[in-house]
Amino acid sequence: MIAVPDPASLAPAPAGFLEVDHLSVRAGARTILDDVTLNIPDRTVTGVLGPSGCGKTTFIRCLNRMVELSRGLRLEGSVRLLGRDLYDRAIDPALVRRRIGMVFQRPTVFPSSVFENAAFGLRLVHASEEEVDRRVEDALRRSGLWDEVRDDLDRSALSLSGGQQQRLCIARALAVEPRVLLLDEPTSNLDPQGTQRIEATVRRLREDIAIVIVTHNVGQAARISDRVAFLHAGRLVEVGPTADILERPREALTEQFITGRFS
Amino acid sequence: MSAASETAWAEWFSPEELGHFRRRRSIDRWFGRLLPVVFLVAIIPILDLVYWVSQRSLPTFTWAILTTNPTGNAGGLYGPLVGTVYLLLMGLAIAVPLGILAGLASGVFLPHPWGEVVRGAGDLLVGTPSVILGYFGYFALVLYLGWGASLLAGGVTLGIFMLPYVARTSDQAFSSVPTDLRDAALGAGARLRQYAARIAFPIALPQVLSGIFLAAAIGIGETAPLLWTALFSSYPPTQLSEPTGYLTGLIWNYFDEPPTFGTEVTLAFQAALILIAIVVAMNVIVRVLAERSRRKLEGLYG
Ligand SMILES: Nc1ncnc2c1ncn2[C@@H]1O[C@H](COP(=O)(O)OP(=O)(O)O)[C@@H](O)[C@H]1O
Ligand SMILES: [Mg+2]
Repeated sequence: MIAVPDPASLAPAPAGFLEVDHLSVRAGARTILDDVTLNIPDRTVTGVLGPSGCGKTTFIRCLNRMVELSRGLRLEGSVRLLGRDLYDRAIDPALVRRRIGMVFQRPTVFPSSVFENAAFGLRLVHASEEEVDRRVEDALRRSGLWDEVRDDLDRSALSLSGGQQQRLCIARALAVEPRVLLLDEPTSNLDPQGTQRIEATVRRLREDIAIVIVTHNVGQAARISDRVAFLHAGRLVEVGPTADILERPREALTEQFITGRFS
Repeated sequence: MSAASETAWAEWFSPEELGHFRRRRSIDRWFGRLLPVVFLVAIIPILDLVYWVSQRSLPTFTWAILTTNPTGNAGGLYGPLVGTVYLLLMGLAIAVPLGILAGLASGVFLPHPWGEVVRGAGDLLVGTPSVILGYFGYFALVLYLGWGASLLAGGVTLGIFMLPYVARTSDQAFSSVPTDLRDAALGAGARLRQYAARIAFPIALPQVLSGIFLAAAIGIGETAPLLWTALFSSYPPTQLSEPTGYLTGLIWNYFDEPPTFGTEVTLAFQAALILIAIVVAMNVIVRVLAERSRRKLEGLYG
């Protein structure tokens, strides 16, 4: 397992928290991500903003090695969590993904009960029943779903609304205690109410963990992120505190995007 | 659509648009009329076959033929029937576990180079004529390994014959599980192996079973892989090392006897009738399972 020491114990901090260093991704002759270097701080919401097709999904999938499941992609550069290279041959990608959890664009619950969905990652390591019960409840509370499902945890997860399913997906990731949670346009298939509840959940989670959320919605980035990274055509155009990027962008491309001249 | 509403619509469209859609509709209608013809072309040979076989097998059919062994020029089907069941079970004992593993390799683990190798090997095996497999079984198992013509050699050869069918349908079953579910499982910290066992397998199971029945239905009608490996016998096998009879072998042996040997020809037709009944039953099971799997996947997409 990747040990995740308390950041304070690593004094002087040898590096940042989650560091992306000269990351490029290519498919054949095409460059999907071009030399992206970026530091993602702990206990912060980092919004990844950009037009569709600019490489946001590919970028976020590089952060926990999900990208290795796509065929035909080549990676260069490195991604480090607390100084450790996640792509090191000695590191098991399944363990990387337990500490860097992921939630996808489409809510994808498994065809089983609400409880078993949340317990999925715990069952994989044969956690004890008490531990499973405790962590499932904790994860459902943190994801903001507990009050809606506590009376019937055995109901089918497929019977939940889309927004509830997405919060269940968040709970499923949280149950294995990730230090980083990656969200790839988690609200793009949800109605305004479902979106608002996910955003509230994300703001609460940032108290404990780092969050990277992909969005192509400037308003959402403004509402929930502390920092914004703007991607365009596979390049990181600029990154900084949300207010700086959204109100005083330095680059013309960023300004054009946030003023809605293209999306 | 009534004539009145059509004229009401007509002013919204240009004559070219209307002409185009009128032509399309008449083509659709013609296809609609052709369908029953196509259906008849497909069904007539099948009905003819069933009629032809029934006519020659039913008049003398007695349940006793299921419990008596064939004798020189009469008797029943007991030995070959039992042999068929044994050969099929032995073949499935090989084809099912290996086929499902191969299906997992190509349907779940495909990003790994082994997945491609396994899929390619399966395609090659499906394309191999069953006579060649029969020769392979004869030279490799009967002669080289010295098993002799036997239930063992026949069962293993039949297993190799059915293997790619199980592998291919399992591959399709696992591949049809939405990749979203794979990503979700891996995103929650599962290994591919754990995803395969906990998520993909339960969802794919009906389709995998349907593939197994399909492979069995194809395998039970094969003669070529068995002629030199299982040889033939009129009696139910008592040992793995004994030659064994099977329904297709009985048909092969008895069908072209001269008409004076009337009972033998009749016996061949009766064996054919039983085979047809088994294959139809298996195909019904295949359809039911496939339908169940379709509903299951639809439920997932919601
Ligand atoms: N596995 C792949 N092989 C080839 N091209 C890909 C692959 N995955 C993504 N791409 C391409 O990379 C570009 C960025 O895709 P993506 O990361 O999904 O963008 P976004 O999430 O910003 O819409 C797209 O043009 C897409 O077609
Ligand atoms: Mg995307």
